[in-house]
Amino acid sequence: MNITLRMAWRNLWRHKRRTWITVSAMVFSNLLLVFMISLQFGMYRMMIDNTLKAFTGHTQIQRQGYNDDPKIRTSIDDIVILADDVRDSLGSKEVAARGISFAMTSSEQRSYGLQIVGVEPEYEPNVSSLPGLVKQGRYLADMDAEEIVIGSVLARNLRVKVGDELTLLGSGREGSIAAGIVIVSGIFESGSADIDRSMAQVPLGYFQSLYNMDGAGHTIVVNTDEISRVTELQSRVAGIIPANKQLEVLNWEQLQPGLKQAIQADMASAWFMYAVLIVLVAFSVLNTQLMSVLERTREFGVMMALGVKPTRLGSLVLTETFLMSSLGLSIGIILGIALTYYLTIAGFAYPGMEEMAERFNLPARMYPSLSVLSILLGPGIIFICSLVAAIYPATRLFFLQPVIAMRAV
Amino acid sequence: MTALPIKSIFILAWRNLWRNHRRTLIMLAAITVGAWAMIFMTALMRGMVDDMLLNGIRDLPGEVQIHHPEYRDDPSINNSLGAADEQLVSVMEQPPVTAWTQRVRVPAVISSERESRGVTLIGIDPASETDVGFDAEDVKQGRFLIDADDKGIIIGAKMAERLETRLGKRIVIMSQDPDNNIADRGFRIVGIYKAKLASLEEMYVYAGIGTVQKLLKMDGQVSEIAITGDDYRKVDAWYPRIKQAAGDDKQVLPWYEADSYLGSMLAVMDGFVLVWMVVVFLAMSFGLVNTLIMAVFERVREIGLMLALGMRPATILSQILMESFLLLLIGLLIGNTLAILTIMPLQDGIDISIVAEGMEMMGTSSMLYPALKLQDVILANAVVLILGIITSVLPAWRASRYDPIEALNKN
Amino acid sequence: MSSIVCKDLRKTFQQGDETITGLDHVSIEIAEGGFVCLSGPSGSGKTTLLNAIGGLDTPDSGEVTIGSTRIDQLSKGELADMRLNKLGFVFQAYNLIPVLTAQENVEFVMQVRGVSAEERAKLSRSILQEVGLAGMEGRRPSQLSGGQQQRVAVARAIVSQPALILADEPTANLDTHSSAQLMDLFVKLNEHHKITFVIATHDVRVMRYAKRLIKMQDGKIVSDELQEQQPMAV
Repeated sequence: MNITLRMAWRNLWRHKRRTWITVSAMVFSNLLLVFMISLQFGMYRMMIDNTLKAFTGHTQIQRQGYNDDPKIRTSIDDIVILADDVRDSLGSKEVAARGISFAMTSSEQRSYGLQIVGVEPEYEPNVSSLPGLVKQGRYLADMDAEEIVIGSVLARNLRVKVGDELTLLGSGREGSIAAGIVIVSGIFESGSADIDRSMAQVPLGYFQSLYNMDGAGHTIVVNTDEISRVTELQSRVAGIIPANKQLEVLNWEQLQPGLKQAIQADMASAWFMYAVLIVLVAFSVLNTQLMSVLERTREFGVMMALGVKPTRLGSLVLTETFLMSSLGLSIGIILGIALTYYLTIAGFAYPGMEEMAERFNLPARMYPSLSVLSILLGPGIIFICSLVAAIYPATRLFFLQPVIAMRAV
Repeated sequence: MTALPIKSIFILAWRNLWRNHRRTLIMLAAITVGAWAMIFMTALMRGMVDDMLLNGIRDLPGEVQIHHPEYRDDPSINNSLGAADEQLVSVMEQPPVTAWTQRVRVPAVISSERESRGVTLIGIDPASETDVGFDAEDVKQGRFLIDADDKGIIIGAKMAERLETRLGKRIVIMSQDPDNNIADRGFRIVGIYKAKLASLEEMYVYAGIGTVQKLLKMDGQVSEIAITGDDYRKVDAWYPRIKQAAGDDKQVLPWYEADSYLGSMLAVMDGFVLVWMVVVFLAMSFGLVNTLIMAVFERVREIGLMLALGMRPATILSQILMESFLLLLIGLLIGNTLAILTIMPLQDGIDISIVAEGMEMMGTSSMLYPALKLQDVILANAVVLILGIITSVLPAWRASRYDPIEALNKN
Repeated sequence: MSSIVCKDLRKTFQQGDETITGLDHVSIEIAEGGFVCLSGPSGSGKTTLLNAIGGLDTPDSGEVTIGSTRIDQLSKGELADMRLNKLGFVFQAYNLIPVLTAQENVEFVMQVRGVSAEERAKLSRSILQEVGLAGMEGRRPSQLSGGQQQRVAVARAIVSQPALILADEPTANLDTHSSAQLMDLFVKLNEHHKITFVIATHDVRVMRYAKRLIKMQDGKIVSDELQEQQPMAV
């Protein structure tokens, strides 16, 4: 082993307690960061997955302007044919067309204004988790059947059960009256009271005749297996759809800007907190290394008298910091992984979290997700900042006068 | 020379502190950053939660609400209440209750010539409503409702856009009367409001309570009674009285039960603030301990000399604790000042509208107003000072236990 | 090649309000292969003169020439290179690097000079043997006596085969026996390797070894005479 490295290592242990305390500061912050960042990543992923799986999907084809201002007339003509084309071109079954409108929905006893979604019964289960959550009755089957599936809260509020009739009353595409009677074929329980209260699905063919859509619909959901490849998917789909129909392909960030922004806002506040921790660790390192340089003034003086240049002494101090930070990094990461891994299995909850979690489509227990990035990101930054903090003590060596330094106690 | 007077200990500690001014300054910087971060971050968080709660309570509305026992699960016209009786009114007129109002709130469909949408139709009494829920200032075009029998309707700006309609136009409201007959009626849009949370503009439309009751054949019935006091944190002081006066056949809920998300928010925040402060302190404490250990280490001979001269170990201990105390105190002073100086210019709000839709998911608006609370400042200072002194005891105690001869001979 | 010529050196220090004259127009020539003692009470200027010759300190005025090099005109980096490659230093005791073993202390200077690991190990062992420390290569300074430590320092100084060794109070903190051993080592190196020695000291035991004894006081040379070496019996 190189003498400088050996020297640096032994220098670290001249003040065992001080070195361990500084290493502990790093371990503490590294442990915390590995856990927090893994938790954040896990949480964001779940927020995105749960929100998108329930309804939005990864990308959607829409008529331009529909996303900002969803009007019944801002529609896609011959939507089923277009959906088939997209399915063929992509070679993927995760494509489904929808029509969306509103209706006053009445049972014998109650009436509620509802969002009515027309879906392709064959393909909708491929893009959304809702069809799989039907707990009573069955999901829609026939493209033109006069059927409806509704959420469990809505069923309770409307006081209907499977097999009962509902009357739909709304306005059609050209301002015509849209009125029809449908049979409740299934009742789903998504777990989100909001969705269970406000969502109703009918077959797309029936939707088109009810609202006088003449074969048109409003959106085609296109999903992918891997959400990280959504941009790739978006451009592929954009290449498939006809250019002259004023269509556009939107990804989930555009469809659900709130989700993205909630994550960004959370990220920003989290990183403010991490930055404070990192700065405090850097101060610890700065203080320790400055002390270690100052108390060795005489020793450094001797080395300089022997002809060793300040750059070499500076690199010795940086090597010491490097070793110390590596120690903090590895112990911190090991403990961080151990703690986080335990929590990925056991889950994690704190009082009051359930209510907050529901708001963001999260389960009541959170499971951090460990990845190379979530493990290395925080500790890596602390490592770099520690080295940066040692620069000031190291530069002090350039101002050392050997004759004076040797006289120091 | 046995026990030194506190003044001498102070002077010794003060001078020792500045013997190695670089180290002291770095540690001061760390304490300052820590204290600043504790107070600043807490003020931001508090500001956000305050905003969330005030918005939320205004939106509920009211700090306490009275409903038909089944209304909350099934917000239908069939689950209505009789208007407040004399006994209830007399309780609601007592301080600290500041205002109360009655509302009809039913699901409805709103249609313009071009579009229709599902909404919640709210029948309000304009005179009392503004003290509890809807803010008349939010009406940006046209006017607010004049009285309970006003024939006009107020809709949100976003809703007007969706319906492709505007002030002065007519829209049709469709809802259900108690016999499940569809009741509809045309309204003229007399006002358009803007809400802090844009999503609300699409959710609620407001009409006179009398007009709505007549339309829905409610015969003086209401959906909810909303009551507000002077401070939402102190609602427990008076809500049991209301509950008693309302009788067993009604559901009376304070805001934190009516919206469990809001309710959990306060407790979660308090917990978060404490955890945050302790975490920052811990990150800082390593440096503090190191600084003290070093300060003691370089003075071993000196401490040995003092002990040899007959100074009591307790004096050494208190001198080192005093050094730590002074260090913490100065750091806190600068940290507090810095926190106040950075929060002051932000009193007019921080524009976070780039993540407005995200903040809306959390229930806050796009302006963040930091809320500097005395109790948080005290908590931050107490955490640093008390835990800081406790952390300093070990190095100080070790120093006071030195053997004078050994210490003197230490190289 | 390594004759030393100092011309009219002047150096003052500021201590509080007082100005102290370290060197007061000192001129001196030291021939190659000399064994010179600079003596005098503390504050007489002997260390200042030694530092000026070693390029550790630059005089306010005057010239220092070693061999053919005007070292008062070199940059800091050039001075460091010169010290590393051409000069050996032996200071007061406790000037080894405490975390390195005897052998590593000797090797350290070689490593800085870029000597290969193999060469370093070979050279440092033979030099430690020469200074009488065979078998103690692996000890840390704290495990060596004062005399042994100084011999490690000598080994470190001669490892670059310098033509000139400067020593500042090398026997301070050493007992009589260790001092004699150290001085005998100096004499041996002076005779066998033709290394020039300049030793600043106020230890009379050391002065007896000098071939030339220069006495200084208040920054001036007060006497400069040649003498017979009188080694002590060990």
